[in-house]
Amino acid sequence: MTKSTRIFMSVIYWAFVVYLFVPLVLMVVMGFKDSAFIGFPIQSWTLDWYKGVFQDTEVINVFIYSMTIAITSTLLSLVIGTWVASFLGPYKFPGKVIIFAITCLPAVIPGIISAISLRIYARFLDIEPGMLAIILGHTVHNVPFVALVVMARLATLPKSHIEAARDLGADSLIAFFRVTLPYLRPALIGAGIFCMLLSFDDFVRAFFLGSYQPTLPVLIFAKLRSGMSPEINAISTVVLVMTAILGIWAERSMRRMNKGA
Amino acid sequence: MDQQGRKAIVHIENVSKSFGQTKAIDNLDMKIMAGEFVTFLGPSGCGKSTTLRILGGFESPDQGRVILDGVDVTKQPPNKRDVNMVFQDYALFPHMTVGENIAFGLELKGQQRGEIDRRVASLLDFLQLSGFRDRTPDQLSGGQRQRVALARALAPDPKLLLLDEPLGALDAKLRGQVQVELKDIQRRTGKTFFFVTHDQEEALTMSDRIVVMNAGRVEQDGTPEDLYYRPASRFVAEFIGETNLLEGTVRGSDQGAVIIDWKGHSVYGSANGGQPQTGSSVAASIRPENVICLPQRPANDRALKGRIVNRVFKGSKTTVDVQVDERDPLIIKAHVDPAVAHQFADDTVWVTWDTNRLAVLAG
Ligand SMILES: Nc1ncnc2c1ncn2[C@@H]1O[C@H](COP(=O)(O)OP(=O)(O)O)[C@@H](O)[C@H]1O
Ligand SMILES: [Mg+2]
Repeated sequence: MTKSTRIFMSVIYWAFVVYLFVPLVLMVVMGFKDSAFIGFPIQSWTLDWYKGVFQDTEVINVFIYSMTIAITSTLLSLVIGTWVASFLGPYKFPGKVIIFAITCLPAVIPGIISAISLRIYARFLDIEPGMLAIILGHTVHNVPFVALVVMARLATLPKSHIEAARDLGADSLIAFFRVTLPYLRPALIGAGIFCMLLSFDDFVRAFFLGSYQPTLPVLIFAKLRSGMSPEINAISTVVLVMTAILGIWAERSMRRMNKGA
Repeated sequence: MDQQGRKAIVHIENVSKSFGQTKAIDNLDMKIMAGEFVTFLGPSGCGKSTTLRILGGFESPDQGRVILDGVDVTKQPPNKRDVNMVFQDYALFPHMTVGENIAFGLELKGQQRGEIDRRVASLLDFLQLSGFRDRTPDQLSGGQRQRVALARALAPDPKLLLLDEPLGALDAKLRGQVQVELKDIQRRTGKTFFFVTHDQEEALTMSDRIVVMNAGRVEQDGTPEDLYYRPASRFVAEFIGETNLLEGTVRGSDQGAVIIDWKGHSVYGSANGGQPQTGSSVAASIRPENVICLPQRPANDRALKGRIVNRVFKGSKTTVDVQVDERDPLIIKAHVDPAVAHQFADDTVWVTWDTNRLAVLAG
């Protein structure tokens, strides 16, 4: 590579980084603006918007509501996904490919289609729009991700590890909990964080399956419609910081554990 | 009970096992005596692992039974059997420390914490792993991992220890050392070891008894010396050690010795299973180190005249190829003392052997 192409490549790279981060930086900066209107110039700064967010019981309740949905649907997805993976992974049986395809389908169906069909299905099952419906919707959507990640990890577990556990006196259940599950841990943590973020971030399903109580993205959408204000920037910044911390921590701990395994 | 008054700890009773068309084990019937170091020896794919897995409870036989210490365990799952296995890849649990790995079987037996700690400590000490209790398996060398796997399998005090080629992953130099260690551990614990290998040298080094397998069947069952000097079949003779295989027809007998016509030369040997029929074609095996080379014709008439066509100095011995016949080159390999190898300077030698050393094999 010549010197000029190298410079050219790095200019492109940095241009891309700027393109990626400018909106985020703008969003964060505007959250500190002491004015109800978003945009330059900024004459004075304030922390009032943030104070407002942390004192606004509605925002806090919605946040808790969204977290509850994210955590519950993630736990459900992990349990079901692991169960599907341990069922689909090691055994060979007729129709396995079809079952596998059906399992993966919810991950690739367009969100709007999936949201509408889930809404119809929930009504059919007599499930009221609301938390339960959203949790089930997110679980259906997230199970394939868990199943795929767990299956990939499971495929690398030597059969002899399970046999050794059985040999040393473990029945198949104990062997699963004491050998298979610890082995799957990095995969479960990774998949779990991914599910949490997917659920927390989801707008379409939450919008279609929700009741009057909004999730955070739905709330932000509602606030947007009544006018853009730096309060939205403040909420978004808090969410951004939290997800970034979660993501980085997950990535680090997964790397650490992968090295240990 | 066998001759030494030991009781059979395991009886594999007419066991057969097939995988689809492949017959992995074909009507195997054998006993293992308490305190024995038995080696299952055979080429790759002859059914060794399958036999071990049937004993461990990981496969169930199509036919036959497995009797462990007088109890039929054929239908018992692995966790109910008083048998432990050292796996070829060691199968140490990566998320547990060395100590936790060893304690695993003891915990599942429901032992008290204090009792477990004592047992783990004594095993670590016994296997020279004392400083490694809190390490994880990825912080150990191959030899250390092998010892941890052994400690883990010994911990629950099984009636029988199964070892599936546990030295295969070690480099050649370490392997020799571990062979001696393993035999020593077996002697000191008095445990019954059922060891599987395809390496005949390993089998000879460690075993009290060797069972040679070929294509799912037992070829021979005996002490290392039996197998080496009195192979029961051509397969055993060729599989174990280096040998000269002479093919010919039985000509008759002379004072208990079998006379074989080896392409026109009379050779004398002994048959284990009684005098073979005159006129039948047989193979006979003689080890190179049992072939005696002489510079002159010996007094007895049981020697063959030949010519040295190849000699290789190997330090402790010189190996020579003796061509016995000019027309139809018949070669006998022999070991001679390098100190006297110069006696055969003109390359004419007489080869002979103790009649008992030439084993006449069926077929
Ligand atoms: N699970 C299995 N499925 C199909 N064939 C098998 C299985 N296990 C072993 N075999 C076959 O049975 C024969 C004996 O195998 P094995 O007992 O592993 O031999 P060894 O340990 O002596 O190398 C081989 O031909 C092998 O391919
Ligand atoms: Mg094998």
